[in-house]
Amino acid sequence: MAVIQEYKCPCCGGAIAFDSTIQKMKCPYCDTEFEMETLEDYDKELKTERPDDMKWETASGNEWQNEETEGLRSYVCKSCGGEIVGDENTAATSCPFCGNPVVVMGQFSGAWKPDYVIPFKLDKKAAKAALRKHYEGKRLLPKVFKDENHIDEIKGVYVPFWLFDADADANMRYKATQTRVWSDSQYYYTETSYFAISRGGRIGFERVPVDGSKKVPDDLMESIEPFDFSEAVDFQTAYLAGYLADKYDVDVEQSIKRANERIRRSTEEAFEATVQGYATVTKEAGSIQLCNSKVKYALFPVWLLSTTWNGQNYLFAMNGQSGKMVGDLPLDQSAYRKWLFGLTGIIGAAVFATSYLLWLLLL
Amino acid sequence: MKKGFFSAFLALLFCITLVIPASAESDLPRLIDQADLLSDSEEAALLSQLDEVSERQEVDVVVVTANSLAGASAMEYADDFYDDSGYGFGEDRDGILFLVSMEEREWHISTRGYGITAITDAGLEYISEQFLDDLGSGAYASAFTTFALLCDDFITQARTDAPYDADHLPKEPFEVFGGIITALVIGFVVAFIATWIMRMKLKTVHSEPMAENYIKTGSMRLTKEKDLFLYRNIVRTKKEKDPPKSSSSTHTGSSTRTASSTHTSSSGARHGGGGGRF
Repeated sequence: MAVIQEYKCPCCGGAIAFDSTIQKMKCPYCDTEFEMETLEDYDKELKTERPDDMKWETASGNEWQNEETEGLRSYVCKSCGGEIVGDENTAATSCPFCGNPVVVMGQFSGAWKPDYVIPFKLDKKAAKAALRKHYEGKRLLPKVFKDENHIDEIKGVYVPFWLFDADADANMRYKATQTRVWSDSQYYYTETSYFAISRGGRIGFERVPVDGSKKVPDDLMESIEPFDFSEAVDFQTAYLAGYLADKYDVDVEQSIKRANERIRRSTEEAFEATVQGYATVTKEAGSIQLCNSKVKYALFPVWLLSTTWNGQNYLFAMNGQSGKMVGDLPLDQSAYRKWLFGLTGIIGAAVFATSYLLWLLLL
Repeated sequence: MKKGFFSAFLALLFCITLVIPASAESDLPRLIDQADLLSDSEEAALLSQLDEVSERQEVDVVVVTANSLAGASAMEYADDFYDDSGYGFGEDRDGILFLVSMEEREWHISTRGYGITAITDAGLEYISEQFLDDLGSGAYASAFTTFALLCDDFITQARTDAPYDADHLPKEPFEVFGGIITALVIGFVVAFIATWIMRMKLKTVHSEPMAENYIKTGSMRLTKEKDLFLYRNIVRTKKEKDPPKSSSSTHTGSSTRTASSTHTSSSGARHGGGGGRF
């Protein structure tokens, strides 16, 4: 039995029929004409499409050995619920996330043990200097904010990260156009050619980090990226000496979504960059399958400073490896108004004087 | 003897009056409001202004309003009115006449003698721009006053070494109020952008939507690369024909911009000027 092949018009989506007078396929709805082979090829492309598959192998994780946890102490902040880990010699006097001084010490109990740690490379002095520099050149920052007292409370914290490794197999379809413009004595012509573009391939991602701590905002951590993983070492409790460590409280499953988002965006961008020579490129469809996926747990070094101003909490973070300092600063409303209206007056007067001078000299 | 001397004096006086035609100042009114566009008080004010300017400058500045041109062109009517009424100072009969005809809604400025020199084609265009709005909206007194003021200004300027012409026209008055408003608006926009940049400096936390830092270098392999041509369409739009340039409302002849174009009136006198509709 012959299979009746039905094609859809790539232009308008209507059912398309063979037109015997022109010996071509012609859409009865939008009158676009196609070669028979074009439609066959196009149809083949449509049939190769697969759904997304962005599942991760999450079976990983080393358990803590009993003797390893012996020297560790767990501190719980009564104010924000943050749980941090330090070695027994580190005295935590205030919570690094909310600045609250009430910290209760308890016995550390293990869950996953980190696979890797990037040790701190920059010390507290460098962090203080970076924070001071962070305040510089910001005219709308409230004056009291530059107070040295705040700076002293800066703390080195190992922040938990989930690291996602995977190869992404991508299959992308785009609609692209080329335009040509010319004219004769009477008309302007614009010719638009439509193309169906297919791209397929593989791209590998290595250790895409996702913040595993609820207390540290994700965007704050993404702002101090990247960490140089070549300096990472296998985790040893000895690295915690003198610093605090946060225990993950966002598990792998919850972090996958964010990792997938970032991998998808970069994959799409990388493949779209290979479509060249067209005036417009629009993504029509695309699917991404992940393979060789692995998840690792690591601690990254971050200097944190939490401070309160006008009843609002401000958290600053510095990459303990690269020294990149970020943190949103409050706006001094009265200084803002002074600058806005002051500049309006000065610039307005200057413009007025210039226009009057021009009127006197020229015109 | 005495009588002979007196008659000789009379004869001499007669000769002088022949050689230098008397100016119209004594007997000819410089405002003839046939269309009755002005109130009595406006008429009186305008007339005294015209007389004052004319006598000081020794160039007649005349305003004529008419109900109808009676078939003549505005130019002919204005030229003939000027010549036949006998306006003009001195041998060259220096003067400027401003005619407004209500039926055709046309205006024309006719110049003669020094009037031609003082008001060039470019000057005429400038003057007409200043009064046309008033004329069109029916503020006749204001239009005529503007005309008289500008004539005074142009004649004064023509006597200096920098007469008003295409490349040198009177300044528009400086708009103080509008200037302050514009300057403040510009100032506010610039200040807003500047303070916005300052505000943006306070914000350093941005989420990172991409993962391009974590792509394994050289890991990208393209296994399929297919560009399939589907179809094309052509859109045709008709070229707009450039409309012929609308002729300027002022009739200034075809002479160069920096001079006064002239023509000969029915009485054979050389006139300049131009006009248009309102």
